[in-house]
Amino acid sequence: MVRLIGIRLGTGLITLFLAAFFVFFAVQALPGDVAEQLLGQNATPEAVETLREQLGLDSNVWARFVEWLGNAVTGDFGDSLVTGEPVSSTIWASFARTLLIAIPAMVVGIALALLLGVWAAARRGSRTDSTVSVLALVAMSIPEFVVATVLVLLLAILVPVFPATVLSGPDASLGELLPAAVLPALTLVISMTAYILRAMRSSTIDGLATEYATTAALKGVPRRAVLWRHVAPTAVLPVLPVISINVAWLLGGVVVVESVFNYPGLGKLMIDSVSTRDLPVLQAIAVLSALVYVTANLVADLLALAADPRQRTLHQPRGRRRTAEVVR
Amino acid sequence: MTLTIDRRHFLGGLLGGAAAIGLSACGAPALRLPEKAATGVARAGATMRIARPAANAAETLDPASSLSAYEYLGAVYNRLVKLDRDGETVPDLATEWSSNADATTWDFALQPGVRFHDGRVLTARDVRYTYGHILDPDTASPQAGALDQIDEIEAVDTTTVRFRLTTPNAEFPSLLTAYQCYIIPEDSAAEIGRTGVGTGPFVLESFTPAGAGAVRANEDYFGGRATLDRIEFYSIQDTSARVNALLARQVDLLSQTNLDNPTARVVANSPGTTVARVENAQWYTIPMLATSDEFADPTMRQAMKLAYDPRAILSTALQGTGTPGWDNPVPPQLKAWMDEEREHDPEKARGLLKTIGREDFSTRIYTSAYEPNFTAIATAFASQVSRAGIDLQITNTSADSYYTQIWMAEPLMVSYWFTGRPIDQLLNQIFRTGSSYNESAWSNAQFDQLLDSARADTNDGSRLQKYQDAQRLIVEDSADLTPVFGDRLVGLSEDVVNYDEYGFEFDYLALGLRED
Repeated sequence: MVRLIGIRLGTGLITLFLAAFFVFFAVQALPGDVAEQLLGQNATPEAVETLREQLGLDSNVWARFVEWLGNAVTGDFGDSLVTGEPVSSTIWASFARTLLIAIPAMVVGIALALLLGVWAAARRGSRTDSTVSVLALVAMSIPEFVVATVLVLLLAILVPVFPATVLSGPDASLGELLPAAVLPALTLVISMTAYILRAMRSSTIDGLATEYATTAALKGVPRRAVLWRHVAPTAVLPVLPVISINVAWLLGGVVVVESVFNYPGLGKLMIDSVSTRDLPVLQAIAVLSALVYVTANLVADLLALAADPRQRTLHQPRGRRRTAEVVR
Repeated sequence: MTLTIDRRHFLGGLLGGAAAIGLSACGAPALRLPEKAATGVARAGATMRIARPAANAAETLDPASSLSAYEYLGAVYNRLVKLDRDGETVPDLATEWSSNADATTWDFALQPGVRFHDGRVLTARDVRYTYGHILDPDTASPQAGALDQIDEIEAVDTTTVRFRLTTPNAEFPSLLTAYQCYIIPEDSAAEIGRTGVGTGPFVLESFTPAGAGAVRANEDYFGGRATLDRIEFYSIQDTSARVNALLARQVDLLSQTNLDNPTARVVANSPGTTVARVENAQWYTIPMLATSDEFADPTMRQAMKLAYDPRAILSTALQGTGTPGWDNPVPPQLKAWMDEEREHDPEKARGLLKTIGREDFSTRIYTSAYEPNFTAIATAFASQVSRAGIDLQITNTSADSYYTQIWMAEPLMVSYWFTGRPIDQLLNQIFRTGSSYNESAWSNAQFDQLLDSARADTNDGSRLQKYQDAQRLIVEDSADLTPVFGDRLVGLSEDVVNYDEYGFEFDYLALGLRED
């Protein structure tokens, strides 16, 4: 078990490095550098030269990457090329605002998806089941920016209950952010629930068909207890990876949703940094997103280990597992 | 559309949206919009909320910089001189100006007793300092090139400033109307980007680059107090988010936002919001790179012009909201505008192509989502020139690198500028040989000479004649097409009164919110 976690952490570190490496060179490959992007139509050769000098843009790509890596290892992600602010504080502030919509969306979305999934599976073939399944399919097929726009139309324009956008950007107070966080969070709930719901439904249907479920039913265990006590806990296991991917997707800041609501989270910071080629900020976002993905997957695996004894034996060192079989 | 107006209003945005989608899919009727913004009595003590697309997080309040936050400038600063609606140079901080006989020395008399927001009195030394700052190579101001003819600036006394030029220029004052030329206090360059201390109708309260900010009315403004008490500025980068903020009544006006036609319909048909037109505010161009193999030949360029009808582009791409350009870059509202329609003859174009052996000429025309009308203009243009046998493939590219990778690099593309340049700056900046904004890389010695002799000509009548000859030369030979001038479609609340924008500035004194 400890060895497993060790291996996972090791591959996680490699993933982080690769993410940083690829993002660095992908941004280098994009046309235009910070100076040209900032100046746009005013990018006369002299103006670009002056700005490059002021920003201290070094032309040697490799030297810059090595220098960045050295600093990043010590936790120093440098300063934004555009604003001159330290990258770490900018990113944490945006990440905190992303959490404000991601965590409620996660809690509500996962709970809703699991419950609805089990519920639909228990009534397989009924009208409730088909309604839930069709709704889930619809939610899956509509892109999240359309969901966002429809929600704005309904709940901010026709019936103005919530604000359509965050006006003050990074300066927005918690008082302004809270009401404005409702619609983006709702959009995320709608977009993510469908995937988890469908996974949970089919996994529960499989569970209901197993021998132990049948045995329990034959023993006279009430159907409700069979479902919630015996089938549902096991049925969650195969759904865990689906949940972890969705959680990581949420925590990375959903670019399109944050743009539509002008929500000053990680996703919006990312799109702004891409358009200005603000490399230090992009690098740090890449590392943070990779970290979130690695952690989410690791947590999902550990949870699976904790919940499923079979997986624990599966990951035992080979020799011991064989002896265990012999004893049995 | 069988719906009545009332029902459409009643059902609001939802139907507006649906109608727009339906209409744009099956050939919409001409877009009907109010001609002008509403005028009327504004209420006292109002706060207006303006949503703006911040250029980026490096933006600054330093007017000389290419990264200046446009909306704030006109509110907090003044220029020496500004442009009126007809493109004429009129007083701002300077009350009058005059030159010596050969127009190489210009004296400007300043309005006495004007104070900066920090209480200091405006003097000629501030003016001298401001232009020194613009011309400083470290500032890299976009206007530095246009002003490089300034040899020396002298503060003659507290209210007189003298510019000595290296070459005669009878149009010199018009060059000082650029929005980089707002006057800042002496020795303020280091902090002006954050403080915004000027002489303008509003005093800066707060400013965050790419964030929110606010200005409040300057009680002692020399031109009278503004109608509004306060203006709040909010940065919303995404265009649809900006429109949503307007429809949800979170803001009253969208600045620097030219609504595309379907969106303009939704905004115009939604309760509480409307659309105002800024006439001919968008100058659309199709630069044919004169240094490219495709368009180096003047006959080729002539054929491209003859082949298309700008009226067709206006009616299809812009649904009639604008004026046909006929390849003359001067907007019709300028006094120097030459009112002549060039020939339109696709058959003649076909003949010309034959003489140079390019009967089946084919190339790409680049466009992007950088501006909502680019692709519509490219499509309309391609369909027009196809009548002369020219085959253009429309090539859509990424908006965020359009002006760094495609512009002035690819042979044929769609581009645009804001109108508002005075005639001399317009012709010298965009069409003169070697200018860094000459987007078609066109070079014509006769044209350059004409501009020089116009500048040296102190007789208003004959100078005007020379600027018109220069326009004729552009229509005949230039590599930069001007298919249309588009009206800017500005989304605003129905409560906004007296909105107007010209010469790169809002009319901040009159702007207000309607009485309840």
